[in-house]
Amino acid sequence: MDTNITGATHAAAYDAATGTVRLSGIMRLNGMTEYAPVVALLSRSIAEHQSVTVDLTALEFLNSSGIAVLSKFVIEARNKSVALTIRAARAVPWQSKSLVNLQRLMPALVMDFV
Amino acid sequence: MPAGGATPRSDDDDGAPGAAAVGALRSLTAKQAAVTLVIALLFGILGSAAELVFDWRAMRQDTAATMRQTLAMVEPSAAEAAYQLNEALARRVTSGLAGYASVTRVTLRDDFDGVLAEHTGAAGSGPRHLADRLFGDLTHWDVPLSHEGRAVGTLAVELDAALLAQPFFDRAAYNAVMGLLRALAICGVVVLAFYLMITRPLLRLSQQVARIDPGNPGAALVPAAAGHRHDELGGLIGTLNHLLTAFQSGLDQRDRAENELTALTLELEARVEQRTAALAAAKDEIEQLNGRLAAENLRLGAELDVSRRIQCMILPKPPELAAVPGLDVAAFMQPANEVGGDYYDILQAGGRVRIGIGDVTGHGLESGVVMLMIQSAVRTMITADESDMRRTLAVLNRTVYDNVQRMGSDKNLTLALLDYAPAPAGGSGGGLRIGGQHESVIVVRADRRVELIDTTLLGMPLGLVDSIDAYIGGADLTLAPGDGVVLYTDGITEAAAADHRLYGLDRLCEVLARHWHEPAEGIKQAVVDDVMAHIGTQTIFDDLTLIVLKQK
Repeated sequence: MDTNITGATHAAAYDAATGTVRLSGIMRLNGMTEYAPVVALLSRSIAEHQSVTVDLTALEFLNSSGIAVLSKFVIEARNKSVALTIRAARAVPWQSKSLVNLQRLMPALVMDFV
Repeated sequence: MPAGGATPRSDDDDGAPGAAAVGALRSLTAKQAAVTLVIALLFGILGSAAELVFDWRAMRQDTAATMRQTLAMVEPSAAEAAYQLNEALARRVTSGLAGYASVTRVTLRDDFDGVLAEHTGAAGSGPRHLADRLFGDLTHWDVPLSHEGRAVGTLAVELDAALLAQPFFDRAAYNAVMGLLRALAICGVVVLAFYLMITRPLLRLSQQVARIDPGNPGAALVPAAAGHRHDELGGLIGTLNHLLTAFQSGLDQRDRAENELTALTLELEARVEQRTAALAAAKDEIEQLNGRLAAENLRLGAELDVSRRIQCMILPKPPELAAVPGLDVAAFMQPANEVGGDYYDILQAGGRVRIGIGDVTGHGLESGVVMLMIQSAVRTMITADESDMRRTLAVLNRTVYDNVQRMGSDKNLTLALLDYAPAPAGGSGGGLRIGGQHESVIVVRADRRVELIDTTLLGMPLGLVDSIDAYIGGADLTLAPGDGVVLYTDGITEAAAADHRLYGLDRLCEVLARHWHEPAEGIKQAVVDDVMAHIGTQTIFDDLTLIVLKQK
């Protein structure tokens, strides 16, 4: 499986050594089908690590389907009791608003705003 | 003669350089022989002439000396005879003199001109005129005779010029013949030497050059001429061979390049053929794919069409909006090219007004279906007279969640519900209860102050998790006359301009405040116009929904 996904305006990279998934760019993919590779990458991270960090600091935009993907991923992590940290950027407008739901879905989630 | 050594070629031959037709008389050797002969003859003639002149002079001196000597010798005897008038002695003297060659007449006279003795001899033959000119001045010899200082007579001797000249002529003829022979001999030797040393090697070279194949000049180089390896001829042959080799190398290069070109051309043709076949195959495949794509597009187009119709057919109609008591309502929705899943509704049942606004994730038919679902469910709940917003939202979430699970979809939606109630009888204005998570609700007061109500903590996206009971909250709001509420979807705030700038909540609030004095319809139109101006010619990515509610 690829540990790097590169699209026209976005990229997703999984560092298997540190259990870090880094999403970047503008993600405006359409539905489950197009997000499937990203979902697979995220699922792999929590399958392989007990402690996972998702780095969104360079993710300028994520559409509602993408937010749903993240939400489901957080629930999955919660159900598996994975120690999940999400690194986000306060400077990116969508994040401060949309990421609150993730925290609510998983109170143990460490939300690291930089 | 060596002229035959040249290879005569006809003038209409292939005209190769060096293959000039050479006639025997125009051959190098013939020319050289002629020139040599002329020069040898010229020098021979000059030599002979000089020799003859010397001979002539010598003969004259010889003759004169002999005559003087002889006459001096006989003079005493002649004087004796003249003095004594002794005819016998005189005859001895004359006959003695007559015995000399060339003497034709000897006359001994006494002092009185009487002939004492006379002797004549035979005259010579031959070219007398020339002989006279050459020796004429030596033919008369008169010797005065004296005895004891007294003249006693004369001795006259006449020589014949022709006889005198005879040996000279003989010698001249001999010289001429010998000179001619010498000239011929020199000519022959010189011509032979030149022929052997220069002409023959040149002729051979000429033949060899003529034999060179212009198409393959380096095939047979000109062999070195024997004995001429180190002279100019050797140098010429060396230069020629160098030239031929260079020519051959040039021709070889040309041939190689030609062969390579031919090979490349063939290879190119083969590749073009292969590529053409591959292209034809690709074209077929593309046509098939195009066909499928066209069919798929048709299907998608039909699907989008259906989605758009579902979305639009279930929207509240203007009379319904106008009939809402206590509120001035204006609503706008424009589906994106690929229909999003915006939802809004204004429902009245049992004296209650319920306004809903939501946004289903994704685009297309599924989003449209979920939107239709939520519309039905919201209407069902209000029709069933369910007034509890928490319960309503929880049931809606469960309904959507279960259906979406059944659909095998990842759809979910934000949904905010606003229950409006006019102020109790006698009061003015009204009240709003807000529940569910959606975009921030904009509250604009009559004095144009803008307040934002964050709905994040009032709910959770519906259909995402099986139960949202724990996340549902509520907010209450009082509306004085002229106050109002504006609802929208992220299609408005995230509408992108050409430079990717998003429209944004701040600008929306600004426009609302600026136009708040207008009726709801005017405010709505002002916002729509401003958003459209912002988008310009860009594609509309998401549905645009806007609801303006203004307390009457």
